[in-house]
Amino acid sequence: MSELIKVKQQGAARCDGLSYQDLLDDETVEVPAYLRENTNPYMGDEDIDVARWISRDFHEQEKQKLWPKVWQMTCREEDIPEVGDHHVYEIVDQSIIVTRTGDNEFKAFINSCLHRGRILRDNDGHADEFVCPFHGATWDINGNFKGIPCKWDFSHLDEKDMSLPQVKVGTWGGFIFINFDENCVPLEDYLHPLPDHFSRFPLHDYYKGAHVQRVVNCNWKVGAEAFMESFHTLETHSEILTFTGDANSQYDTFGDHVSRSVTPMGVASPHLPDVTADETMRDILELSGRMATDSAEGHEMPEGLTARTYVAETNREMFSDIIGEPLDDATQSELEDAILYMLFPNTQIWTGYHGNIVYRFLPNGDDHNSCIFETMILMRYEKGTKKPDPAEKNILRPDQAFSEAPEIGGLGPVFDQDDSNMAAVQKGMIASKKGAVSLASYQESRIRHLHQTIDKYLNA
Amino acid sequence: MAITDTLIPAVDLGDKQTVPVTLNSTNILICKANGEFYAVDNQCTHQRAELTGGRIRNCYLACPLHGVRFDLRTGEPMGELTRVPLQTYDVSVAENGNLQIELG
Repeated sequence: MSELIKVKQQGAARCDGLSYQDLLDDETVEVPAYLRENTNPYMGDEDIDVARWISRDFHEQEKQKLWPKVWQMTCREEDIPEVGDHHVYEIVDQSIIVTRTGDNEFKAFINSCLHRGRILRDNDGHADEFVCPFHGATWDINGNFKGIPCKWDFSHLDEKDMSLPQVKVGTWGGFIFINFDENCVPLEDYLHPLPDHFSRFPLHDYYKGAHVQRVVNCNWKVGAEAFMESFHTLETHSEILTFTGDANSQYDTFGDHVSRSVTPMGVASPHLPDVTADETMRDILELSGRMATDSAEGHEMPEGLTARTYVAETNREMFSDIIGEPLDDATQSELEDAILYMLFPNTQIWTGYHGNIVYRFLPNGDDHNSCIFETMILMRYEKGTKKPDPAEKNILRPDQAFSEAPEIGGLGPVFDQDDSNMAAVQKGMIASKKGAVSLASYQESRIRHLHQTIDKYLNA
Repeated sequence: MAITDTLIPAVDLGDKQTVPVTLNSTNILICKANGEFYAVDNQCTHQRAELTGGRIRNCYLACPLHGVRFDLRTGEPMGELTRVPLQTYDVSVAENGNLQIELG
């Protein structure tokens, strides 16, 4: 057998039984192209050195060659609704003032006064002009220098360019992205094919219904990777096996910057062959935290209907009531499944009609052993009504559980279960004698994809 | 604990608006945020600036001078310019429809 064929077979093994594509064949509405995509080019199976997560050196390399080169999500446009509103975005040891300067115009300034270097803004807020709290040097919100007290003492600055240095800004889906590299590729090229895959979900018009943040004691990649595979469901979230297609999830990579996992819901796990439709229906309504209702009260499984169909149709009806629009062309998959995209390097977004969840993992300042985990839930609202204000960010103390944030509902307890692993992964890798991790060939291929793309930047 | 009538009708205060009132020589700012009434010291703990007219978003009041944001529920500041919280006061609507404040 030629080497090539042998290699292909290595990466081709899949879980027995129903695949996600099989489930799509049962759809009664037209299945959009993006759900039929099924691409997972084989990337090898070598072990990966734990240094990438636990070493200071790797963190320093990311600091020099990753963060200064990638498009990165800073905040939502709705977070800074009025001209003069700004968000202070901090990445490792850099600080940026992301400012709304017009109806659809944003600028992002290096957050450092050109007089003595103090940060100009230390927190989100509003300003008609940026006045440095130290000596009063002032810039307008477009970054033009307006002056400094005792001007007579600064005539040597007159011929200098005193406007605030800026970084690149781009928007998509209601998110504001920046890039420190002025020679970077345009945001649209970087995002491809994400915008196409999200064409049925105009996230720019959704509002942020919840925003919760907390520090986690693990490297930002350990955090992100905890949400990039459903393989851990069996051990970490075993109570949701009755309604989660974990082992038969589908994993895709689309170029360097985008990957996806699709976990069918409303179907029992292949690990539990004899679960009844009724058990699946009851458990998903009560435990998933993402269905239109979280109680199984008064719900009976009609004869001849699968739990997946029953729950999807329940969601279709209730979600369309909420937004005052029919959802007739929504597939059952989009009404129920966990369809989760990673946008390199650290922002994950769900498609679907049940509240689009967003995860972001940022390094916790310059500490490579801890990270800032944020989750948002983007919601649709009733057609013709005024878009609700975005939720204020709820910053949990490090000792608090995610289930103490009621606004994320059923996700809280699920995050607490993930939380019980994340810091422990960091601790274990530091103690590891093997000094490397091994990955599942298919189910953990997106993690390998993340690291291969990181290497493209580190070796650029 | 004395409950003092501020003589300001609750209906006069719209959402995201503030109104200063001085009660036994204490300058207090009454604010309406998210449909709820709050009352805090009307003096920023950063540089003693008056908070009247400060921008309100959700339940945060921003000092007009440097933009320090205070959580109206607890008085706690955000950011680095000050760590000292504002004193908060309980506000309620009296029988006669006026706002009343509980002074210690």
